[in-house]
Amino acid sequence: MPEAAAVGSGPLLALEAVTKRFPGVTALDAVDLSVAPGRVHALVGENGAGKSTLLKIVAGAQRPDAGKLLLAGREVRFAAPRDALKAGVTVMYQELSLVPQLSAEANIFLGMEPERRGVLDRRTARARAQDALRALGAEFDPGILASDLSVAEQQLVELARALVRDARLIALDEPTAALSQVEAGRLFEQVRGLCGRGIAVIFVSHRLEEVRRIAEDVTVLRDGRRVFSSRIAAVSDAELIRHMVGRDVEYARLNAAAAPAAVPRLEVRGLTRRGHFTDVSLALRRGEIVGLAGLVGAGRTEVARCVAGADRSDGGTMLLSGAPYRPRSPREAIRRGVVYLPEDRKTQGLVLGMSVRENVTLATLERYSRRGVIRRRTEREAAARETAAVDLRPPEIEREAGTLSGGNQQKVVLAKWLLADADVLIFDEPTRGVDVATKVDLHRQVRALADAGKAILVISSELPEILALADRIVVMREGRVAGALEAAGATAERVLELALPGAHAA
Amino acid sequence: MRAPRLARFGVPLVLAGLVVVSGILIPGFMSRSNLTTILLHVSINGIITLGAVYVIITAGIDLSVGSIVGFAGVLTAATLTSGAVLHLLGPVGAAVLAGVVGVAAGAAVGLLNGGVVAWLGVAPFIVTLATMTAARGAARLVTGGIPVGYPDPSDPMQAQKIAALNALHTVGGGRLPMPGLPTGFPVPALVMLAIVALGGFVLVRTRFGRHVYAVGGNEEASRLSGVAVGRVKLATYVISGACAGVAAVLLVGQLRSGGPDAGMLYELNAIAAAVIGGTSLFGGIGTAWGALTGALLIGVLNNGLDLLGVPSFWQEIAKGVIILLAVLFDVWMKKADARRRAQAGRAAAGG
Ligand SMILES: Nc1ncnc2c1ncn2[C@@H]1O[C@H](COP(=O)(O)OP(=O)(O)OP(=O)(O)O)[C@@H](O)[C@H]1O
Ligand SMILES: [Mg+2]
Repeated sequence: MPEAAAVGSGPLLALEAVTKRFPGVTALDAVDLSVAPGRVHALVGENGAGKSTLLKIVAGAQRPDAGKLLLAGREVRFAAPRDALKAGVTVMYQELSLVPQLSAEANIFLGMEPERRGVLDRRTARARAQDALRALGAEFDPGILASDLSVAEQQLVELARALVRDARLIALDEPTAALSQVEAGRLFEQVRGLCGRGIAVIFVSHRLEEVRRIAEDVTVLRDGRRVFSSRIAAVSDAELIRHMVGRDVEYARLNAAAAPAAVPRLEVRGLTRRGHFTDVSLALRRGEIVGLAGLVGAGRTEVARCVAGADRSDGGTMLLSGAPYRPRSPREAIRRGVVYLPEDRKTQGLVLGMSVRENVTLATLERYSRRGVIRRRTEREAAARETAAVDLRPPEIEREAGTLSGGNQQKVVLAKWLLADADVLIFDEPTRGVDVATKVDLHRQVRALADAGKAILVISSELPEILALADRIVVMREGRVAGALEAAGATAERVLELALPGAHAA
Repeated sequence: MRAPRLARFGVPLVLAGLVVVSGILIPGFMSRSNLTTILLHVSINGIITLGAVYVIITAGIDLSVGSIVGFAGVLTAATLTSGAVLHLLGPVGAAVLAGVVGVAAGAAVGLLNGGVVAWLGVAPFIVTLATMTAARGAARLVTGGIPVGYPDPSDPMQAQKIAALNALHTVGGGRLPMPGLPTGFPVPALVMLAIVALGGFVLVRTRFGRHVYAVGGNEEASRLSGVAVGRVKLATYVISGACAGVAAVLLVGQLRSGGPDAGMLYELNAIAAAVIGGTSLFGGIGTAWGALTGALLIGVLNNGLDLLGVPSFWQEIAKGVIILLAVLFDVWMKKADARRRAQAGRAAAGG
């Protein structure tokens, strides 16, 4: 195999004029793509551009309406993901598809369990799983349950799954969206290792700095069409963005319009939840955006959930405009004007089977009903207004939320909480999976909310986002507050210094 | 979006097909009086199914409804024929009170179910299995195992008791005069249609109904959005219990007695009708209209086989087969949609 990796030996995977239509949208419109072995090919584009759809076709999870797939020069037709896997094509979806109740090892061999005379050959399975995981630098035991692994570790299991199947092509759909920078760095090392074995990689991401770090080639999709392909070294970020969006986008820091109020709107003192975080104190003032930074697992989400009433704390106090505040449910928190946008849109943010409209108004339905009966027109108007504000595409409020692209699903969750008109807003990874242009736009909206007197807490694993948005940055490390920085003096290095375990607080 | 587009027509199509075929093959099937008879026979199951649909949309299940029919029924009959009540209220008053008692008894068992499910977090299957057993036992305990109702000739209050039973019979077995229908329109069928219409309105047009779907579709997202998940679940079990209570009252009225073994296996008929009507046992999907079509499908089948004179054992087998075929047809209709959904669910969120 490694010999075949030589550059110039023809593409491993080629798409020719692949078209895929869904009711009301053409997700892919005669797209050509050519992926070389041993190289990383980045796929970028706005939310809904068709990136995930392309991967699903490559994975055999969906069938194209027209066009062909060529694998090593031969035409292939995948009727099901099974066929693609057999041909050496693995796709890692962003929402990982491991079976949580099975061990890492069982997940690795799912669907191709080694057998001897009809009985599972557990010894061979264990040995091969261990080899694959070790090759990827994993440090956990293959017998551990998938549900006990972190997102980064689960991704390693998925990669190991590809390895034991002798994958020739691995496609990664926004693999870093839920990772910390350190974890992302490790993943990139492993991806490079895979390339060294001659495996071709397709890499989807909205973060151009990552794309630049990992990829050799890049293709831009826009509205389902391929608008640009090139070697990444030959193109600038600004150019790429212009191809993606069709205009220039400026990623600038947004400053507060006025100094924040002196009195905190929300104050957290010595908050503790055993096993999750200890002695956390922070204050949010009106007109202020506070960024909560830290590695994945530092306890940021847990703090946010306690403040929002989703979990109970064991100790410490909270004050809302000076009054005692101890919500027992999200419902109570929302009543008091505190809302929480959860980090995982699929499991916590959306009812995927419901329409966009129903999702957007779920938290505020009281306002659009009279004596318990929903006033359909006002509800529709509110949903239409708010989805337009987040630039939902396609802008159809009756569409089932589950059929939207990932970034657009995130916009629906955001619209729900923008509509809530709360005083304290906690955003946990608010722009995960949202494209560059929309992200800048959403940042502007968050800033506008702050300028309108709201108190805002933003949790993000993306440092540039925190740096661009926050007036003050609180850094957590291993369940404790490691330090706080004023926006003026904050740099990525200083934040990381505080966030990394083993480092010493400034 | 409540049910996949195609699927919404699957069962109504089967139902329409069945009606047309029966109409051609079976003499007398299409007569107005037979069609109203079908409606009458469907009404008890239709009412219970509506309640079941509420519970199932929240991804729950209620196995206790059949026992509730027995339990609420004996309480209804006992109230109706109680000497003290008759003294105080007279036959009509007793009938009204008995109706209230029946529905309230059903709702109370539902409250118990819902309370344990919502606040103690026990699996609905287990909770309602327990109340199913307990309510049946309670019904037998109260009555000593024999039906309550028709009075002895030696009973000093025989006349009043019969008057009370007759009063409730005007609801459970009565017919409203209607032009073009010599036999009149059966009151229970009217009650069913009213309950289904109301149930449908609440599901589609009210905040509560929206919350029912939301809780079934994604409980955690609903909770984080401020939906009172526990209260919503509780309410669906109360609705289910109350519907079973209404069915019990109608049944007592119709039969002029309340037997402790009444309603045996009704829970399975209701769940079958709900599922045939497109309700998903995984939650989040289901309609009042589906409850009605599901119950009607079973009713038309029963009636057709009866008219054809099929022996009852064969009827049961035929019914099983046809129900399976109906659901298969529905699944087949859903397939295109389902595949799309599965993919969307698996990876559309996949950024
Ligand atoms: N199952 C489906 N049913 C209907 N429309 C769909 C379905 N899956 C995708 N689409 C539509 O196809 C288009 C492309 O979606 P896709 O998920 O490929 O976008 P994407 O480029 O991955 O976006 P993102 O960056 O937001 O993840 C979108 O308009 C989306 O709404
Ligand atoms: Mg996508």
